[in-house]
This record gives sequence, C-alpha cells and structure tokens, in this order.
Amino acid sequence: MSILDYHYGDSYIHRMDPRVKMILLILLTIVVFMISNFYVLLAMFALVMLVWKTANLPLKNIIGYMKFLLSLVAFLIVLQGLFFSSGSNPIILVHPIIPESVPVIGGHGTVYLDGILFGLILGFRLLTLVCIMPIFVMTTTIGETALGLVKLGMNYKYAYMTTTALNLIPTLQDEARVVMDAQKMRGFQVFETGKFMEKMRAYSTLVVPLVVGAMRRAQLMGVAMEARAFGVKKTRTYRDELNMRKIDLAAGVLVAFICVGMVYFNGLLGGWY
Amino acid sequence: MGTIIEAKEFSYCYPRRDNQVLKDLNFSIEEGEFIAIMGRNGAGKSTLCQALDGVIPHLHGGTVWGDIIVDGLNTQEVEVADMAQKIGIVLEDPEAQLFTTRVDDEMAFGIENLCLPREEIIKRIAWATKVVRLEGYSDREPTALSGGQKQRCAIAATLAMKPKIMVLDEPTSQLDPIGTYEVFDVIKSLKEEYGMTILITTHKSEHIAQYADRIMVMEEGKIVAFDTPQVIFRDARLLSHVAVRPPQVSSLAGYLNSNGQNIKREDFPILVEEAEEMIRSLMGGKKDGQ
Ligand SMILES: Nc1ncnc2c1ncn2[C@@H]1O[C@H](COP(=O)(O)OP(=O)(O)O)[C@@H](O)[C@H]1O
Ligand SMILES: [Mg+2]
Repeated sequence: MSILDYHYGDSYIHRMDPRVKMILLILLTIVVFMISNFYVLLAMFALVMLVWKTANLPLKNIIGYMKFLLSLVAFLIVLQGLFFSSGSNPIILVHPIIPESVPVIGGHGTVYLDGILFGLILGFRLLTLVCIMPIFVMTTTIGETALGLVKLGMNYKYAYMTTTALNLIPTLQDEARVVMDAQKMRGFQVFETGKFMEKMRAYSTLVVPLVVGAMRRAQLMGVAMEARAFGVKKTRTYRDELNMRKIDLAAGVLVAFICVGMVYFNGLLGGWY
Repeated sequence: MGTIIEAKEFSYCYPRRDNQVLKDLNFSIEEGEFIAIMGRNGAGKSTLCQALDGVIPHLHGGTVWGDIIVDGLNTQEVEVADMAQKIGIVLEDPEAQLFTTRVDDEMAFGIENLCLPREEIIKRIAWATKVVRLEGYSDREPTALSGGQKQRCAIAATLAMKPKIMVLDEPTSQLDPIGTYEVFDVIKSLKEEYGMTILITTHKSEHIAQYADRIMVMEEGKIVAFDTPQVIFRDARLLSHVAVRPPQVSSLAGYLNSNGQNIKREDFPILVEEAEEMIRSLMGGKKDGQ
C-alpha cells in the first residue's frame, strides 16, 4: 500500500470538501516553510500526526519512510554542523576537531552549533512536509480532486490530466516492485544485501523499464480517456456535487487559526538559526 | 436499417514500421449486426478495432490509405472524442483503460464528458451497473477487482454512453466459462433490446456460433473470409489455414468421421442443438439397422 494511493475509508477527513482540503494542504505547506523554531515545528508535526490519526490512516505506511527520513535528518545535521556557511558569526561548538598536534591536517575542522540547529530544522521540515501530502492523496479520490480543482476555477482538461497523472505514481511503484520481485526470484539479492553502490546500480537498472512503462501507460490512458469522449465539449457535467458543510468551513477556519498562531509563536520565540 | 460501417480500400501502417498491418480492407456492416472478428494473434484484429473509432490514426499516428465511414462520419476527419458518441470501444487491456479510483466514477467519466444532466448520469450508471451485474461494487477500486470484474467494469464504462456501435476487443479473455457466458449474454441483450451494432474479437468459437450474425476472418492484415458462422465453421481448409478452432461440436463430427462415420461437411453441427439432432439421427440410424 503506497502513501500516494487512495486509501478506502469513511473518516471525517475522507468526507471533507476537497476544496477545503486542497487549500489547507497549500496553507500547511507554506506555514511549514515559514516556521524556523524547533518547538513550533514539533507542534506542527504533532498536528499533522493528529490529522493522520483522525483520517484513520494506518501509521505503518509512513514508518518505512520515517526511517529513511530520520537518517536523512541525521545526515543533514552532520553536514550542516561541519560545513555551515550562511549567517554571520555562527556559534562555534568545537574548534578544532583535529588537535594541533596531528601533523599536516592538525588544527582544522569546526563544528558549528548554528549548523546543527539548521540541519535539525531543515530535516524536520522535510519530515513534516512528507507527512502532509499523503493525507490529501490517501483520503481524496481522483474524481473529487479533479472536481475540486474545477470548482476552484481550473480548466477541466488540466484538472483531469494532472490528477490522472498523479494516479500513475502508485501504479509505477507496483510495477517497480514486480520487477524487483522477479529479479529476487531469480536469485538476485543486491536489493537486500548489496553494498551501497551496488544497490544504487541495481536501482538504476529499474529506471529504464519504468520510464518506458510509464510512457506506455500514459499513452494508453490518453487513448482510453479520449475513447470516452474526453475533451469533446467546452464544459462538462458532474455526477457528484460538492457541498461545503458548516463543519468543513469550521475545520478550515480552525486549522487556519492554528497556522496563524504557529507563525505568531514562531516570531515570538524566534527562529533557531 | 442500413449500412453503418463501411471500409473502402483501407490500409494502415504503424509509425516507424515499413509493413502494412491492415491491407486493403473492403467491407460493410449493417446496423444491428453482431460481428465476430477472428484470426490468430497478430492478425490485426486490435488494430482494426482501433481504426474503427479513429484512435488509429489520430492517437497512434502512422500512415492511412482509403477510408472508414462510421454512421456517415469519416474516421480520419473526425476527432476520436467526437466519434466516441457513435462508437464505443472496450480496449484489449482492461488495466490501462480503468483510470479512476471508484467503479462508479469509471462509469460516470464518459457520460460526464457528454454533458448529460446529473439525474441522467445517475440513472445511466445504475443501468450500466445492472447490465454488467456489478451491483454492490460501486465504491470499490477498479484496480482491486478480479480480471473478469475489471472487464465488465470497462464494458459498463463504455456502455453508459449508449453508443450505436460497441466494439469489444477480447472482452472475455480473463473470464471463466460462467463469466464468459454472462458477458455474451449482456452483449446479446445490447443487440436485441437496444439495437446496438456489435463487433467483438474473441477466440471463443462456441459463443460466436451461437450469437454472431457474421464472422470476419483476418490473416496477416487481410480479410480472408466474411460470412455466417454456418459457412465459416464448416470450411475446414480455411479454419486450419488461419488457425481458428471450430466449435467443439464441429470437432466432434470430424472425430466421428475419422472413426468410420460419414457425416457430410455441410451437415456439420456448430450449435449444441444441431449436435443433438445429429447424434439422434446417428443413433436412430443404428437402431433401424439392427
Ligand atoms: N503500437 C504498435 N506499434 C507498432 N506495431 C504494432 C502496434 N500494435 C500492434 N502492432 C503490430 O501490428 C500487428 C497486428 O497487431 P494486433 O492488431 O494487435 O493483432 P491482434 O489483435 O490480431 O493480435 C502485429 O504484428 C503487431 O506487432
Ligand atoms: Mg489483439
């Protein structure tokens, strides 16, 4: 089960007006970029996880990605800690890393506190963003997304082309898995036990068949859509109606208030770098 | 009733290929006919199906000679989406043509494009769902359906648009015998109750013998025969040449002949009822001889 696939369910988030969901998605994304205080970012992450829970989405889907992202966070912290360059007069934690007594390279290397904090914020921001997007995709059908975009003023042709293209991603993930499984069945073990570079090379061999498969699929999909009269008229009718309920508006306003509050506290507490 | 599809010296070559996949096709199909297209893999059946609604050449490119006229429109001059109101096509690959996340969304897509009012859309979805017997699956994900259910979902998605002509490319390839019977039953009712013209490619000879008015036999891009099942399925030389299997009851007659019977080729049964008659008369003959 992919985090970019519709996840069948009947939670409140599933039933929420897609327009509200879409606007909140954009709002949350922007706010995450604005926050630079670690505690406020943590609060934001907690909020996102709360929505995740409300939507009744299984947490195990994100945990695999979390492991990868946490190692990325660690990597960013180390990288920024050692090579932080922006900002004037960064606070120096350790200098030099290598004692003067070591010949040639002695006396070099600095660990910047600002860099560590910057890496931490950057990493957690990424982590939060990665958790926001799937909430929308997993609780909103293609039809609802397209209709929401149309009602927000987008031309229906673009709305359908973008949403069906998005729907291709999980299909491609499935196809990648099929190819990998086929290779494993023939005794190819690099994906589990290989060294880093070997793994990278193995993954890169998947790219060509996947791209070819994606293009073939996209073309077939285009044929299927046009064979069902897609694009024949200037406008289009819809079976589903969107009705913005009071509770959707209220939820939207509430989240917007929380966002404003977070930006306010972020200013009050001050950025971390 | 009159001619609804007419091909005139139609040939086609895929882009970047140098051989014609369809060669000088000339045929006409009457409104309300049930046509089966048969022939071995690679004979050009799917290509012909796509040429009928203009997907070829509009979406695949390539070179076309001659014309195909469908209900008064030339496929080369009219966009595929415009053609879709007259001719509905169910493609060979059910995976690729299901692109929404719900079964009823899939059925809604085409009729929404036709700008029908909302009430009519709802009515048509209910109707198409019932015709293909997918009641209770409306909110399922098409990709999570079984092969046969996917094929029926694809049929319903086209059917909901109520085209005059339905083209079905191997619609029962993933179905078990019961599912195959159900789909043929559905297709038959489309012809009988709604007067639709049907073109279907399939290898299921028994069903074709029972339902089709005429069989178009293709070989290497050419139409080598176009006649009633009675004529086609009794032409042993043709069948072996194009690798089409006759209905099992015909094979039974052939088998009996190889074991000493002398059933005339033109009396070979193609339907179960005819086989029954044959067997009864054979048994009756024996009794008389005793
Ligand atoms: N998209 C394509 N591009 C190039 N050649 C194709 C394409 N699709 C089919 N062909 C070729 O056209 C011929 C007829 O194929 P097709 O119409 O699929 O036959 P059938 O449906 O009878 O099995 C085959 O030789 C096939 O290789
Ligand atoms: Mg085919």
